[in-house]
Amino acid sequence: MKGQYVLNRAHLSYWLRQLRKNADLVGPLKSTDGDIIFSSIENIHNIELDCPASIPSPKEFIFPQKEDMFRFSDKGVSNLSNSESRVIFGVRSCDVSAITLLDRFYGGLFEDDFYMNRRRKTVFISIACNSPDPTCFCIGLGTGPFLKSGFDIQLTDLGNRYLVQVGSGEGLKIIKGFRHIFQRPKKTDYDDQYEAMLSSQSGFEKRITLETVRQKIIAGKVEDSFWESVAQRCFQCGGCVYECPLCTCFNVVDWKEAGDKGIRMRLWDTCMFKGFTKMAGNVLPAEKQIMRTKRWYFHKLLYYPEQFGKFGCVGCGRCTITCPGRIDMATIANKLD
Amino acid sequence: MAGLASAFGSGAMTNSIEEINNAKVLFVIGSNTTEQHPMIAMHMLDAVDKGATLIVADPRKTQIAGFAQIHLRQRSGTDVALLNGIINVIINEGLVDINFVKRRTENFDELEKIVMAYPPDIAEKITGVPADEIKRAARIYATEKRSMLFYSMGITQHITGVDNVRSCANLVMLTAHIGQPMTGLNPLRGQNNVQGACDMGALPDVYSGYQKVSDPKARRKFGNAWGRKLPARPGLTMIDMFDAALSGKLKAMYIMGENPAISDPDLSHLIEAVKKLDFLVVQDIFMSDTAELADVVLPAVTFAEKDGTFTNTERRVQKIRKAIRPMYGAMPDWKIISEVSKKMGYDMGYRAPHEIMEEAALLTPSYGGILHHRLDNFGLQWPCPDASHDGTPFLHRKKFAKGLGTFNPVDFAPPAESTDAEYPFILTTGRMYFRFHTGTMCKRTSTLEREEPECFVEINPKDAGRLGVKTRDRVRVLSRRGEILVNVLVTDRTPEGIVFIPFHFRDAAVNLITNPAVDPIAKIPEFKVCAVRIVPLIPKPGERQKSYYNRKEDIKILLELYEEPKV
Repeated sequence: MKGQYVLNRAHLSYWLRQLRKNADLVGPLKSTDGDIIFSSIENIHNIELDCPASIPSPKEFIFPQKEDMFRFSDKGVSNLSNSESRVIFGVRSCDVSAITLLDRFYGGLFEDDFYMNRRRKTVFISIACNSPDPTCFCIGLGTGPFLKSGFDIQLTDLGNRYLVQVGSGEGLKIIKGFRHIFQRPKKTDYDDQYEAMLSSQSGFEKRITLETVRQKIIAGKVEDSFWESVAQRCFQCGGCVYECPLCTCFNVVDWKEAGDKGIRMRLWDTCMFKGFTKMAGNVLPAEKQIMRTKRWYFHKLLYYPEQFGKFGCVGCGRCTITCPGRIDMATIANKLD
Repeated sequence: MAGLASAFGSGAMTNSIEEINNAKVLFVIGSNTTEQHPMIAMHMLDAVDKGATLIVADPRKTQIAGFAQIHLRQRSGTDVALLNGIINVIINEGLVDINFVKRRTENFDELEKIVMAYPPDIAEKITGVPADEIKRAARIYATEKRSMLFYSMGITQHITGVDNVRSCANLVMLTAHIGQPMTGLNPLRGQNNVQGACDMGALPDVYSGYQKVSDPKARRKFGNAWGRKLPARPGLTMIDMFDAALSGKLKAMYIMGENPAISDPDLSHLIEAVKKLDFLVVQDIFMSDTAELADVVLPAVTFAEKDGTFTNTERRVQKIRKAIRPMYGAMPDWKIISEVSKKMGYDMGYRAPHEIMEEAALLTPSYGGILHHRLDNFGLQWPCPDASHDGTPFLHRKKFAKGLGTFNPVDFAPPAESTDAEYPFILTTGRMYFRFHTGTMCKRTSTLEREEPECFVEINPKDAGRLGVKTRDRVRVLSRRGEILVNVLVTDRTPEGIVFIPFHFRDAAVNLITNPAVDPIAKIPEFKVCAVRIVPLIPKPGERQKSYYNRKEDIKILLELYEEPKV
């Protein structure tokens, strides 16, 4: 822990306004239809401080849905990777946990420049969840609602003030110049935070630990007939992958403007589509839906723990909200548990 | 639409999407719901999870049919016989809601007379659906109070399209499954605003809100509002227009957001007709196959670049908002039309879409209270007669739009084209999930294009065995009008004797071979049935299939790209 402070609620907008001078400020906004969307903040008072999960997840700010990689012409290529400094405010604990894992995926064995360039210039200010959604189950996975580490800055809403925890050097940088509004916490602040944590923990409707599910799959207790019944309900919308804060599928395509000129870009893709692993000669290694459904679940439940020691799911509940066939992670885990 | 109008007096989904969740019986006929209306299918699956009974009538084993307790696989084009068989069972077993029929409907005796000719065993002979299944479906549908009926293009795209819809309406009225929540006759409209286009009078014989052109009162009202004398004769339907163009009677055409050069039946005939026109204008967001034939192409903006409303399948008028500025000088459709009109000497003078909506509300009783400022919160469902009305989730509550509901009994009539020794297969066409219509939009999306890049013909394994073809083999599909080349997909989704081809593809445009015969009233073409022959393309024995490229030459070219390693 790199320090704990208290911020008066009335000073929050002042702080954010100061941060916006040097970086793009992004936060959750409510659309006219009531959806929560992360976007650049024009008016700081429009930020939603206590809101349900955003759709899509804030991963799109470091791994955008469509990213221009370079421009090509007969004269050569020019890099299009751009990244501005960005402060993303109001992120949930589960999403911060997801980004920690994304960092290991995109910055591990192979370093993905496009991702890492953005990532290095992005600071997250997360808010611990005092009131979890009915779809949330981070508590069983240890990815929320309060984080012990892995965050840049974590705020806990204590009513008229926030407890501010600094978890990284990047976090410290955006607090440094504002000692006049960040005070030392008193014992009552810690007490209040503890109480907030307890009440939040009791607010979870879903209690899911994926470990039993993993054990069952490893022990061969889940038969293909089960996955067949899951796959049958897949509408192939790809929503589970697009909305998942941890899914990393992308495809690279060339967009030709005219003649030999064009842009190479990468786009979100989904392993739920049979064409995702299409090979030359139109061979489809995962032509049957059940193979793709199993692959998605096995990746999150078996291969992620093998590779990173953590599940490929942070319990954000977005697939539960999105999936039209009701075959989201929480539902399936509940069935197998 | 015409079928519904003659039975109830208005044509639209009678009930609402959110009611599906709590329905007890869902009868889906001629709709590939999971692929084509996934959000509605989501509610259907929810209902099934809660214990609802799902009955699907479709020759193909679609994904939604996989969840059905009863799957009726009728022969394509025999829907009337199937529905008459079901009605027959309901009448004979005393499952009719007599009270409702007496109070709210007329012409029951006629219906009884006609359907008595369709006992389940006769229906079985025509449709191929076992009589017991027909009885079971009839009993389940009739006895449950909360039964919803859904249909889509599988019902309407026949020469008996109107008859099919009338039969559905008969079934619904007979069992009083209308005018209540979680009941009704629910046509699923596929495109985001096809309901809205119909509501606003994009049909040859009506003004907005289905006010008849032939009605002098309506004509006078619109004439006054627009300051012009309006013609009393209904216009031509699309099929009639192309016929008129071919015979030289129609000289110019203005096509908006439609790509008939792929989507219409018997394409060669249509393209010939278009070429005969003196002047063709096409207004679209992309250069379409039809636009390529045009004299003038007017670029319109996409949904994201304009303000306005869409009306969805449950009659809900929803606002769309401009998210980005129009690109490349394209204009919204309303603006293009106003400008063209101005140049032609009539200044419409609209300044924004809400002014048009205001006029629509003034002139259209069912849209009377639908104004932009009232649509912010998830929109309104018409009829909404005035600005204090909250919209109508389900129709025909106390009485039908036309007063009494009318039974329109219909006899079974076979499809326009039947199979014979020369053309032994029934070809039925349809859609698939990853493609939208003729692909003017989706083929520009790399992921969608990747998923289903090529056209195919679905053939039952038994038929494939007889033909000696397997998946990925190439075959010729011939009808009396033409032929196309496609790849085979062997699957038991499609029953024996029937083959299925999606219509989305330009390279294998199935509408080169479909039958242009149309329903006499609705003028909708019979896309769902025509007779075809399948001829496998098999390499001659002893002759090796030619490789795609000349290996030796290609390797030589390839090698030139590399340097010799220095040893």
